[in-house]
Amino acid sequence: MTSYATAPIPSVPERIRTGLRAGLQTTVKLLKFVLPLYVAVDLLKGSSVIELIGSWFSPLMQLFGLPGEVAFAFIAGFLLNLYAAIAIMAPLDLSPWQITQCGLMMGIAHNLLLEGGVLGSTGARGGVLTAARVLIAVLAGLTMQGLHQVWGA
Amino acid sequence: MEALIPAMIGAMKLALKLLLIIVPLVTIFEVLRYLPVFRRAGQAVDPLMRGMGLSRDAAVPLFTGIFLGIAYGAGIIIRVAQEKKLPRRELFLMGLFLATCHAVIEDTLVFVVIGGNAWIMLGVRLLIAIGLTALLAHLWKSRETADQHP
Repeated sequence: MTSYATAPIPSVPERIRTGLRAGLQTTVKLLKFVLPLYVAVDLLKGSSVIELIGSWFSPLMQLFGLPGEVAFAFIAGFLLNLYAAIAIMAPLDLSPWQITQCGLMMGIAHNLLLEGGVLGSTGARGGVLTAARVLIAVLAGLTMQGLHQVWGA
Repeated sequence: MEALIPAMIGAMKLALKLLLIIVPLVTIFEVLRYLPVFRRAGQAVDPLMRGMGLSRDAAVPLFTGIFLGIAYGAGIIIRVAQEKKLPRRELFLMGLFLATCHAVIEDTLVFVVIGGNAWIMLGVRLLIAIGLTALLAHLWKSRETADQHP
């Protein structure tokens, strides 16, 4: 990856092998936390602890047309990544529109710590960009919820 | 304890869906990323890039970021930025675009797996990134011009 301009181009079968190996490695790495998270959320949903914490977040999440429990997915998405977020969302029985809303907002703002560092290392201001991401995600979520209510789909 | 079995089944289903997305996606990228088309993609969207205050030099890091993601593309982004001596303004504009809009295919598919609408997620995100970057490019440019001609 580092010698983008100069490295010789590998043959197609070699590229396929590299791709399959890299894809499998990534999947295994992801499943290590996706599986336990999914099982934990599926077992805990509806429990009093989750409902209590969910109810604290529910006024905030309501602004985006989402139930309070989704706050857990947002926290996981912001701090970790989208795979952790969907592992939490999948057992929660959200509507397709709610999932789309989450996908848009978390697509804009996720994995903030790591990616903030990467953005900073390119020479742009990482902190400013990270703050901008969260702000843009919130504004996009509010706008989408507004449009959703107007059209009432 | 009987709640555990459906939970495990659900988790395995999610795992299988993720496997079916990630492995082909990474493989296709690995095969396609050496194609000249991928590198020349900058030409086709040149006017759009100029509207966002970005030069041709920004095309490779920008497209790498859009498709592969910031973490994956960071090596390319950092090196091209240094080699081509991208000005700070362009670096920030590119950063702003990529901050809101990167790894778009993977990110979108992850939510499609659990039932999201791909076109809304992808379209709105692209629109926001393009609109915002173009807006900032316009504001920043006008201030620089104003500084030069007081």
